[in-house]
Amino acid sequence: MSGQSIEVNGRKVWLLENGQGAPLLYLHGFADVHSVKENFLPFHEKLAADARVIAPAHPGCAQTDENKDVDAIEDVVFHYLEVLDALKLTQFDLVGACVGGWIAAELAVRHPEKIRKLVLIGAAGLFVQGALIGDVFMHAQPEYGSSYATLREMLFSGPDHPMALEMFPDGKGELEDEVRRYQTLRLGSRIGFKPPYFYNYSLRNRLHRITSPTLVIWGAQDNFVPRSHGETYAKLIPNCSELKIIAGAGHSAQVENPEETAKAVMDFLAQ
Amino acid sequence: MKPVQLFCWHFMAYPYLDKDFDKKESSGWVTVPNRLWDNSKARGLYQEYIDQLAYADELGFDGMVLNEHHQNIYGLMPSPNLIAAALSQSTSRGKIVILGNLLPLHLNPMRVAEEYAMLDQMSHGRLVAGFAPGGGPETFNYNVPSANTREKFWEAADLIVRSWTEDGPFTHEGRYFPLRYVNLWPKPLQKPFPPVWIPGSRSPSTMTEVAKRGYCYFLSSRSHGGETHRAQQEFAAVLEKHGDKYHPFRFGILMSTYVAETDQQAREECEEGVWYFLKNCLKGHLRREGRQLTYGPGVPYIPAAAWREYLKSYTPGRKLLGDVENWEELEASQSIIVGSPETVTRRIQSLIEKAKVGNLLIQFQLGNMPDHLVRKSMKLFAEKVAPALRQTSLKQFSEEYPGVNFEQSAEAVH
Repeated sequence: MSGQSIEVNGRKVWLLENGQGAPLLYLHGFADVHSVKENFLPFHEKLAADARVIAPAHPGCAQTDENKDVDAIEDVVFHYLEVLDALKLTQFDLVGACVGGWIAAELAVRHPEKIRKLVLIGAAGLFVQGALIGDVFMHAQPEYGSSYATLREMLFSGPDHPMALEMFPDGKGELEDEVRRYQTLRLGSRIGFKPPYFYNYSLRNRLHRITSPTLVIWGAQDNFVPRSHGETYAKLIPNCSELKIIAGAGHSAQVENPEETAKAVMDFLAQ
Repeated sequence: MKPVQLFCWHFMAYPYLDKDFDKKESSGWVTVPNRLWDNSKARGLYQEYIDQLAYADELGFDGMVLNEHHQNIYGLMPSPNLIAAALSQSTSRGKIVILGNLLPLHLNPMRVAEEYAMLDQMSHGRLVAGFAPGGGPETFNYNVPSANTREKFWEAADLIVRSWTEDGPFTHEGRYFPLRYVNLWPKPLQKPFPPVWIPGSRSPSTMTEVAKRGYCYFLSSRSHGGETHRAQQEFAAVLEKHGDKYHPFRFGILMSTYVAETDQQAREECEEGVWYFLKNCLKGHLRREGRQLTYGPGVPYIPAAAWREYLKSYTPGRKLLGDVENWEELEASQSIIVGSPETVTRRIQSLIEKAKVGNLLIQFQLGNMPDHLVRKSMKLFAEKVAPALRQTSLKQFSEEYPGVNFEQSAEAVH
């Protein structure tokens, strides 16, 4: 795995890359590479066995420059169009988790021709009546000044999942992990706070434009983006093969059960 | 030359919570259930509080202070401007300090410019115009994204002052509040414009922005150990850097006090109100119990680099003001100064001496403190504490800041 900064439209974009083969763009979520961890997690390494995995950090995350003009999801989409140009990626597989899944869906409705296959994992982005996306900001404020138990519960199947405890420990975490968490929340605040929370009302009516074969993956107990959002994506994306449920996992299926989640992605991409 | 300016600050707490509130409810902010509001008790509460402020004016305080809060039991003033309007008619002397309107919560800053201009006219030029960006709780209850709050805030603040000083109509080509026709009617009475105060919590960038514009910096901390003195030094250094000079009326602090005939009596009389304030009003704001919403990763309004610096020295789960467990800890925090006129005078004198602060914004009503005790404490303060503070501070300021024209520079100058 190697990391590098590329220059995009006058700004620095940090990305990690590993593997050979067809290009696969991975867009990260809240409990993920770039948003907590510096390096690829097992899930990304597994994907890299079959593909050239390219994982950029979103604007303001990890070592990617912050862009104070990012005010809405649209700005992030255009940021990624510039990144794609810089990387000379014209056709690629696109995998996005959580807020990265939202960005992936927004890219796909605008430029369906660029995307060979699309995978959404616990993707935010939709408004589903009666099933609000959770308030990650409230839960990012620790209880008793130090406990992130409810945040872990929101982002994982439960507060005591070992990966949850490693990524969002109580008290003081690794300094740079904490800074990356903060940066991602800051980006989240730019694009996901108004309108509340993490959705674009218009996205639902645009999903029919997606032409690529699509796989939607959801943790069985997602406490952040309710499963009905996965069902809605699966129903409204024309070429969606299935809504794959990862048993025992919560919102961060790719972190909680990397084997099964990576296998589902790789099988789908290989079909 | 003038002595320390003594203001009476009222937060207007909700005082009718049951004794088991702290046990039953996880917060006094944002999510505190509003079924606890009891009309049978609360009727007349605003009148009681407004009358206390008017009493401060009668007693010779230099002004009255109001501020804006939403959805909490700590401060029942979603619109301080309404209270200020009432005070403009029921008082005649003291400044009316609004500290401040939370600018990012307003869809259009012109509303603030207009209401402040009205208040300045209605009060015959007694308005001190505070602007604040709002803290964590307001991001939650008003859906204000944190990341660009500061930028929005300064654009709004600058537009308001421009609308007060520049002839209209003019066009504001702003990022957040573009307006084709800015043409303020009425204009404020004070010239060039009402004094502007900005609260901050020692963030260098806020100090810099305040210094650039010549405004007064108000330290929003409730505790006054060494940090108050450090904040003063930091702000003085920032002013120097901008070719300006510190003097005591560029700086203000918030403190709480209770004065009674003796130390013993003071403590006995105020203790219930003080604990109500610490345990109920500060829950969700300055307590680690439950979920503090004021500051933290969920309200990411400071840049990531500043957050990294903050993380280096912070201790998770550390005690905040509302977590003090006994009277001795409270005394050590220098947040609420309680005692006889002699004790209170001595302690505040030493604070002024060290922090060189010219604006003391003093909270008298704490938690559920009853009206008669609030008034008694205010009266004792006005008669037995204030004269001594004025005398010693005048001497101190004259020696330390000779030749400074406070009157002129207390007004913000561009």
